[in-house]
Amino acid sequence: MPADTNFHLGLDLEIPFTGGGLRVELNTASTRIAVVGPSGSGKSTILRILAGVERRAHGTVLVKEHCWQDSSNGTWVPSWDRRVGWVPQETLLFPHLTVRENLSYGGALPDWVSETAALLQIEDLLDRRSRRLSGGERQRVALGRALLSKPRILLLDEPFSALDRPLRGELSELVSDWALDRSVPIVLVSHDEEDAKWLAEERWHVGGGSLRKE
Amino acid sequence: MFHKAKTSTRWVQPRTLSLRELRRKSIITAVWSTALLAPMQLNGAILTGDSRTTEEASDSVLLVLAAASLADVLPRIGDEWERLGGTPLVFSFDATSRLAVQASQSGAGDIFFSADPQWIRWLEEQGTVSLGSAVHFAANELVIAVSRDVSVPVEPDKLLGFERIALAGENVPAGKYARTALERAGVWSEIEEDVVRGGSVRGALEWVVRGEVPAGIVYRTDAEAAPSVSIAFVFEGPEYPQAQYWGVPLGSTAYEESAADFVNFVLGDAGQSLLREAGFSPPQSFVTDGEAEGHAAGDAGDDLVASISSAVRLSLIVALLATLVGLVPAVGLGWVLARRDFRGKTVLSTIVTAPLVIPPVVTGFLLLSVLGASTPLGGLIASLGFPVPFTILGASIAALVVGLPLYVISVRGAFEAVDPMYEELSWTLGSSPWKTFFRVSLPLALPGIAAGAVLAFARSLGEFGATVVLAGNVEGSTRTIALAVYTLLESPTGREAVWVLVGASVMISLIALLGFEALSRRQKRRLEDRHAR
Repeated sequence: MPADTNFHLGLDLEIPFTGGGLRVELNTASTRIAVVGPSGSGKSTILRILAGVERRAHGTVLVKEHCWQDSSNGTWVPSWDRRVGWVPQETLLFPHLTVRENLSYGGALPDWVSETAALLQIEDLLDRRSRRLSGGERQRVALGRALLSKPRILLLDEPFSALDRPLRGELSELVSDWALDRSVPIVLVSHDEEDAKWLAEERWHVGGGSLRKE
Repeated sequence: MFHKAKTSTRWVQPRTLSLRELRRKSIITAVWSTALLAPMQLNGAILTGDSRTTEEASDSVLLVLAAASLADVLPRIGDEWERLGGTPLVFSFDATSRLAVQASQSGAGDIFFSADPQWIRWLEEQGTVSLGSAVHFAANELVIAVSRDVSVPVEPDKLLGFERIALAGENVPAGKYARTALERAGVWSEIEEDVVRGGSVRGALEWVVRGEVPAGIVYRTDAEAAPSVSIAFVFEGPEYPQAQYWGVPLGSTAYEESAADFVNFVLGDAGQSLLREAGFSPPQSFVTDGEAEGHAAGDAGDDLVASISSAVRLSLIVALLATLVGLVPAVGLGWVLARRDFRGKTVLSTIVTAPLVIPPVVTGFLLLSVLGASTPLGGLIASLGFPVPFTILGASIAALVVGLPLYVISVRGAFEAVDPMYEELSWTLGSSPWKTFFRVSLPLALPGIAAGAVLAFARSLGEFGATVVLAGNVEGSTRTIALAVYTLLESPTGREAVWVLVGASVMISLIALLGFEALSRRQKRRLEDRHAR
């Protein structure tokens, strides 16, 4: 199944930062976008703005036909209505819930949870508390939780950083296929060239207070 | 260690106060005398037998321990005494019963002015004074004081119509005299149920002044000096007891001669004319010995076990009620303060935390001003069938308000310890903030909230000052452990009971604190997730 040809992502934002600020102008029809740049440059903040958990930015956010933010007329779609599959760098799992409960947090049915768990090779972990997982296991659970929330867009922040090489390639291919099958666009934030290569067709670089297409 | 400042700061009137200032203070001090002194007294005088040494080290000053009802007149006599070159005086005013126990146990003080000869005799038994040097210098009649809006005249049997009657504490002379007077009038058994006890006679009077209680039995001198009360009936005649004021130098004094001189000065012309002016009667020619005796000992005997278990049970109920009712406001306020930024946040936080630093007695006074039966809000609540003053409800409200700061601070800390990103993640997974609160924030903060509840419970258990002002000291409905200990300390008997209550109080508090520690550790573990990575 081909990529969503109607997809369009438009960002026109002024992000206040201590010591400058970040100007973001991004217009693309690509469904595989990687945002790269040094740490502290504001990459993660762009994802947070897309996820609707960061309100300090001024400007507009357009995703497909949806306007999620327009500061000129006060438009703001809250996170819980955006349906984004956000995997923050910190890969926080709800510590009071089991892996299974974490995976189904977004409302996924049990069958689907098992299926996705198998795909991500975490089916043995389903009844464990999340605090007993290794870093790599945690990343896969966090990823699974995002995939299972029926996202309109996947926002992945260094999603494979804790994984070893072979698994890393395997998993990024898996996510890539999964997204392709369902026409879900991906915005990836990474400093890892490999990740970016696997998943992205367009690379944007953050630096010097602005965002440029490479 | 300890310091004279503590013994004497409480009620010691600095020599610089003018008469007018002293009068102005009398209303405020009345309330404070009910309760403020109590905890300090426990910390201060009773437990510190060595305050004496610092006392002596200072230039010769006489520390005068005197019955609360002398608080207006004695400093005036003292002024005159000093004007004529007498040794400077500092005063500590309180209920006679508490002062006597203090004088005997602390070994501090130079002169004792008692409102009841029984306590002089008791001090002699303790070896603290010599009966031969005791002087009877004035008497005071008991009166029925009523709020201005109550139509006078009232006679003892008319007291039956009142919903409540305020008396001083049962071990305080004024409280015992009042009981005797009512017994002689033949109405005690019928009105006993309606009696509410203030700590001192001034505390009882303050309730009448504020209209919380329609009538009270107090000293004539206090009633005459108080604003907005009328004297409805005077217990005159030989059948009624009078307060007999006695002065005696304390055995512990280093200034035996000056102490005896001042006692005689009070008995002399200058002293007597000032006493007369203040409404005191001259010393009685015959001494009605033992008028007010006996009740304390009788009460302390058989009913002791019952009062102890009543106090413990009541404490637990009040603390539990305060903790449960406080849960919703504590969680709400804790969350708002942890997660929201808004104009006035600092103000809100300050108001909520204020009872932590405001003296509990002041908190009680403010609560009484808002929730008292004579206030609009208090009246409304009372008309719904839930009167606040002198009820278990009042005790619980006092405990709640005083415990809430610790509650909110703990809960706020628990919410702040939860990484906001958990909540953000929950939003992106489709849960609204309201749902997120119940699915994520609340469960993650739960051990911390429980810890806060335990802390608030422990604080409520120890609540004294606000309770005694707002809810009084009524056995069975507001006399919690702290108040029961305080009441027992006024009495020479009942020491064993004090230790039982002290033991219960310390034990429950320590268990509560252990619970707090365990729950706090658990809260930490619950959030360990992040560090485990």
